[in-house]
Amino acid sequence: MATPRGLQMFKYDSLNKVVMLNTANDNTMLPRSDRIALKQNLLYFLFALPAVVYVISLSFYPAINVVYDSFIFKDKFSLSNYTGLVGENLYPALIDTLIVSVGALLIQLMFALAVAMIMIKPFKGNRIFSTIVIIPFGISTVVSAWVFSEIFSAIGGYANSFLILFGITVNWHATSTSELGIVMFSDFWKNTPLIALILFGGLSSISPSMYEAASVDGAGPFKRFLHITLPAIAPLMGIALLIRGVAEFNIFALPLVLVGYSPPFMNTLIYSNYESVLNVGFAYSASVILLVIIMIYAAIVLALGGAPKYAK
Amino acid sequence: MQSKNKIGMILLYIAAIILAVVFFFPIWILILTSFQPSNLSVYAKYPSLILQSFTLSNVISSFKTPSNGLVGSLLRSLEVAFIVGFLSLGLAIPASYGLSKISARISNKIIVLLFLVNMMPGLVIAIPIASDFIRLGIQNTSPFVVFSVAFAQELVVLPLTVFVILGGFRSLPKDLENQARVDGANFRTAFARLLIPLNKIAILVAFLLAWMTSWDEFTYAVIVAPIAPSNTTFPVTLQNYVSYGYPLISATFALVASVPVIILAVFLMKYLKGGYLSGGLIG
Repeated sequence: MATPRGLQMFKYDSLNKVVMLNTANDNTMLPRSDRIALKQNLLYFLFALPAVVYVISLSFYPAINVVYDSFIFKDKFSLSNYTGLVGENLYPALIDTLIVSVGALLIQLMFALAVAMIMIKPFKGNRIFSTIVIIPFGISTVVSAWVFSEIFSAIGGYANSFLILFGITVNWHATSTSELGIVMFSDFWKNTPLIALILFGGLSSISPSMYEAASVDGAGPFKRFLHITLPAIAPLMGIALLIRGVAEFNIFALPLVLVGYSPPFMNTLIYSNYESVLNVGFAYSASVILLVIIMIYAAIVLALGGAPKYAK
Repeated sequence: MQSKNKIGMILLYIAAIILAVVFFFPIWILILTSFQPSNLSVYAKYPSLILQSFTLSNVISSFKTPSNGLVGSLLRSLEVAFIVGFLSLGLAIPASYGLSKISARISNKIIVLLFLVNMMPGLVIAIPIASDFIRLGIQNTSPFVVFSVAFAQELVVLPLTVFVILGGFRSLPKDLENQARVDGANFRTAFARLLIPLNKIAILVAFLLAWMTSWDEFTYAVIVAPIAPSNTTFPVTLQNYVSYGYPLISATFALVASVPVIILAVFLMKYLKGGYLSGGLIG
């Protein structure tokens, strides 16, 4: 099994800290005075500059454009794009996006943890299990959306071929709740593998002797999970929440193929308005609302402990 | 103790089998639809869950009809994915080298900044870019479309690639570069002969992650590249064909095209399990 990289680096770093106390010139880790550190940092920051400039210019500039344009209605400055959006299914789109994002995120985290905990156990068939579980990561989103539309059809379909053995059939498109459910499930299927791999990195950094010591001291499975496993994977959960959470709010291709424009999601709402030339303003205002939601979400994740562990 | 272990093992196997079935089921359906005549799969009301007959006709017709839109956009997607992959290396290798030299306190803030910028909804960024192109009248010029889609998708992958490669640089002993310099290597030699080769797995992982993300990316592609199959990327053509007219052959074609990507994913898993996704975390 591969060495847990996190642990490895920690060792190197603590080593370096000791070494660096004795070297006068290398103050990259422990700045003796902030001014020298700043000068050094500035030099190395130049290496990172192209990436930072690229990302800022290609995303801040268009974003400012969109925010500005969202307040322009018939060449005049107004709020009409926002007030008009209410009549264009804004509230259902908001609620659906929130339900699916939060729901899918919770299910994904839970099952990803289960998958990672199975993957880390040595048992016969581990390789097969790991390989099967990773496959969805290689199937493109549009294809998986299509497969799930074949599985969860209104009439018949593969899910019903199974259920009819027990004498039940379900119209998966009967209510918007069940439609949200199938979007959530497809999203769970496609994205759980990646989160499982992220969490696996955290699990593999726990040494088995910690569990042994804890059980000698009388800690049950639940206590061991709470006090050993969770703290070890918490920072990785933060990353997963950040990366996946943002992607969840931006969910687009899955609902577009699975349910079309109804029930509406924020992105399908934006897209349908962008497609109809008359309503481009609505696309802008809906984009700005989505942007605000995502920023609030990111702020919450970073404040809830993503940040201190992540950017200590 | 012994019997307790046995029960634990049985529970483990049950959980593993249930999860494996859930994750494999859609793949199985994809196989059933791709290699069976359509009257047994998509046109059947209650299609059978077991393989009843085997045919390659779906596969063959998917490479012929309709006017090779699938093949053309597949090739375009490959172009875009490789541009995205190499562009991310060009930006992320120097960036993560620089960040690995800066104190973790500051470099982690820069990474958070990269991830934050990444949070802009794709449509927020894609729509202004697309409308600029339409204004300039270049939205249908093919090489232009390839590069603009690639540049837009690069935004999605850059933070993650920097993160992965940074993890690699941070895991190298700090004095390594200094020693090479003392031994007479200039900066360029030290970088090209020492730091890059030592970090090649992280760089490969970053490249493949960027490649796979671009391969699957839909939002930027559908807005920036026009819908015409002669001009857009594979996921967009696929969505188009699946929704309007040719679901069976496009899904079959997609399954065939996915096989190398699945193999890539399985190959990548080995390294992602090694912790490359958490690479830059502990500074």
